[in-house]
Amino acid sequence: MDLLASQLINGLHVGSIYALIALGYTMVYGIIKLINFAHGDIIMVGAYTAVITLVSLNWSPVAALIAAIVVCVLLGLTIERVAYKPLRSSPRISSLITAIGVSMLLQNAALLLFGAQPRPFPIVLKVEPLRFGGLQISFITLLTLGVTALLMIGLQTFVHNSKPGKAMRAASEDYATAQLMGINVNNIISLTFAIGSALAAIGAYLYVMAYPAVSPTMGSLPGLKAFIAAVLGGIGIIPGAMLGAFVLGIAESLAKAYISSQMSDAVVYFILILVLLFKPTGLMGKPSGEKV
Amino acid sequence: MNKKTKSITLNILGILVLYAALSTLIGSGAINNYLSNILITICITIIMTASLNVTTGLLGQLALGHAGFMAIGAYVSALLTKSLSISFGLSLPLSLMLGGLAAAMCGLLIGIPALRLEGDYLAIITLGFGEIIRVIIENLSITGGARGLTRITRLSRAFSQDRTLSMVIAFTLVFFITVLIISSIFTLGRSRHGRAIISIRENAIAAEATGIPTTRYKLLAFVFAAFYAGIAGGLFAHQISIIDAKMFGFNKSIEYLVMVVLGGMGSITGSVVASIVLVALPEVLRGMEEYRLLIYSFLLILMMLFRPSGLLGTREFSMLAAWEAMERFCSRVFKRKDTPTRMPFQPRYDIWEDKPVLETRDLGIDFGGLKAAEGINIHLSDNEIVGMIGPNGAGKTTVFNLLTGVYAPTRGEIMLLGKSIHGRAPHQITHDGIARTFQNIRLFNSMSALDNVKVAFHSRMRYSPLSGILRNASCLSEERGIDIRARELLRVFQMESDADTIAGSLPYGRQRKLEICRALASNPKVLLLDEPAAGMNPSETAELMQTIKLIRDRFSVAILLIEHDMKLVMGICERIYVLNYGRIIAHGSPEEIRSNPEVIAAYLGQPQSVQEAAHAES
Repeated sequence: MDLLASQLINGLHVGSIYALIALGYTMVYGIIKLINFAHGDIIMVGAYTAVITLVSLNWSPVAALIAAIVVCVLLGLTIERVAYKPLRSSPRISSLITAIGVSMLLQNAALLLFGAQPRPFPIVLKVEPLRFGGLQISFITLLTLGVTALLMIGLQTFVHNSKPGKAMRAASEDYATAQLMGINVNNIISLTFAIGSALAAIGAYLYVMAYPAVSPTMGSLPGLKAFIAAVLGGIGIIPGAMLGAFVLGIAESLAKAYISSQMSDAVVYFILILVLLFKPTGLMGKPSGEKV
Repeated sequence: MNKKTKSITLNILGILVLYAALSTLIGSGAINNYLSNILITICITIIMTASLNVTTGLLGQLALGHAGFMAIGAYVSALLTKSLSISFGLSLPLSLMLGGLAAAMCGLLIGIPALRLEGDYLAIITLGFGEIIRVIIENLSITGGARGLTRITRLSRAFSQDRTLSMVIAFTLVFFITVLIISSIFTLGRSRHGRAIISIRENAIAAEATGIPTTRYKLLAFVFAAFYAGIAGGLFAHQISIIDAKMFGFNKSIEYLVMVVLGGMGSITGSVVASIVLVALPEVLRGMEEYRLLIYSFLLILMMLFRPSGLLGTREFSMLAAWEAMERFCSRVFKRKDTPTRMPFQPRYDIWEDKPVLETRDLGIDFGGLKAAEGINIHLSDNEIVGMIGPNGAGKTTVFNLLTGVYAPTRGEIMLLGKSIHGRAPHQITHDGIARTFQNIRLFNSMSALDNVKVAFHSRMRYSPLSGILRNASCLSEERGIDIRARELLRVFQMESDADTIAGSLPYGRQRKLEICRALASNPKVLLLDEPAAGMNPSETAELMQTIKLIRDRFSVAILLIEHDMKLVMGICERIYVLNYGRIIAHGSPEEIRSNPEVIAAYLGQPQSVQEAAHAES
């Protein structure tokens, strides 16, 4: 029973991090229909920024977090302007390949700058784990869950109640019509990349607090998982990404505990395939078909 | 020697000279062991890239798990050559074949569920399957788990004690396997099966309506690509002698995808060029080891920004020409009899006198709570031209979609030539005898006009994919037959001069005509025209009226047409159905319809109710 409970909590912990990253994928996809493969590497850049400011520059943990957010947002905006914007009217596969190119570029630039050797992430929070009966929950887990919950509520409020949020939803519903309604779609897309990158930076920070190793390819795997989470929930749908991420996180940690830790990835992909087969547009997606 | 024969000869000579040059250089030691291995890697990469191009370029479906099939081929063939106690010269071809077949089997198993999805979702599901294959291989004991398989017989050492000689043999083997595979992709691409696959990329809905069993062809392309990836995997395993599952991960699939896109999606020669360049480039950059991948990724981005269609776009160097020449040469040498031209066009219908060819009984469909069509009872007799009119949103196109199987009816039945077509797929219904055109033209835009028409002959051709690859007698005679038929059909519409024009670049009126032409090529008994005159000027419309009459007389079909142009409808239709709010509100001759008060009300509003309202006010 305790094993189950602690695995569920573990699942929520990873799920939260996936959710923060998945939001970036899903929001961008919602508007420009691009699978932004470089998003995973934004995590890596955020983690390096944090580790450098913390260790080499001796900044406080909060300042390091802010630095990570700023760097990631600037990077996200630059990538969008330089690499994706010129391709907005070309076939979608071209921008997909460009995204793959950007991802490779970031990884190799990091490899050149920092080397392949993973850097340890320092302990920024030293708090005893909390105990509930036989159950032990680390403070980092609680912090992650809390931060994620707050950010999601914030994002939902922003998207539903603010003017730019409404513009964002309009652009993702119908890109061309949104322009005709006087929405500056370019700014909205930039805003989307900025928010996605900021969330990824926070996700990166929380990720390295739990798994304290920073390396050039560290973003690939959580990036891929978060992307799968976004698809699982219904890509383009913000609450879908959150749901998908939690389902994925929990499935993964249960599979690790009860099946085998090597096979847990296979389980994740298997769930993805099952969901896509029975509900092709994801858990929260609406059916779509071409009109004849 | 004419121009064509010249270019063909040059092509074959090119391949042979290339082979002779490379093998001599390897034999003389001028190309050392290391460089020879790069040459073999290039060949294997070419197979992988070209086969992925079948799924991604020809079929138009993004697949992200191609390396998974390579892994299956690699493991199956490596395990076979390790365990079989026959000479390597025998066990290698056998194991390559079985490796390919194993990959094809997996392609089939994965494809059946996955190909129900499209676009990004298909991409993601193939990614998932590719990764599952990798994880499973990593966790099985027979595959050596995470450590992988070691001590697989090396191609470069297996054939002879003499290292150089063995390398020459290995290179010869890989080179000609590659040439064979590439030629087969070319010939398949030019066969009826290739046309079917490309038509799905161009417009899946139109392909189905033209009689292409789209699901089956998606699967065929997918399995075909998997088979070749399996063979490439087998060669790869025997080239490097140690394999582990990590070599075949997501990144590997992406690497091949990048090559496909850089070469140009749909251009097989583009894939060949891109494979050569991208395998060689990192070697050229080897001097700047550290910056190698950085430069590589940078070039990739630049390439996409400035030339997003890839090196060659969808263009090809002429390789089929080479194949044809080889054939002609062979037939001259072996004195093969000239094959007869077989015509596929035979009337399949009995004379259907007075009974209706098409009849619906209480046909209806609901979308959620909305009754989009209800109680539709229509009938068409042989050689009749019938109109269907009604205000926008009346459900006219919905009726067409029901008749062609795009929608399954909620209620009622459709009888074609006295038989119910309930539960038939759209391509089967086309085969049964109903053809249609679309309200917004759906042509196979980047295919030639002639090929658009040829696609519609598909269901009446018989030759198999294998004869398509080999271009044997049955393939050639049928192809020649439909070439004649398709050109005849174009001539009826005065479009023979457009035969080689790309459909998408034809002027609007001719595109409409071509669509009708394509519909007729499937030899229908009933032709459905959805707003054929939309967007036409009065003189074009007048011409169209003549064409429609001509079609009826010449092809003896019953025509049901949706149209808003009243001059056309009243001018050529013998009977007219009027739809409003999903129901038939009137039916009769043009004169009856013109004076029917309900019809006038539906188009112009309710004069009575206005009067009544005025009356009530006073």
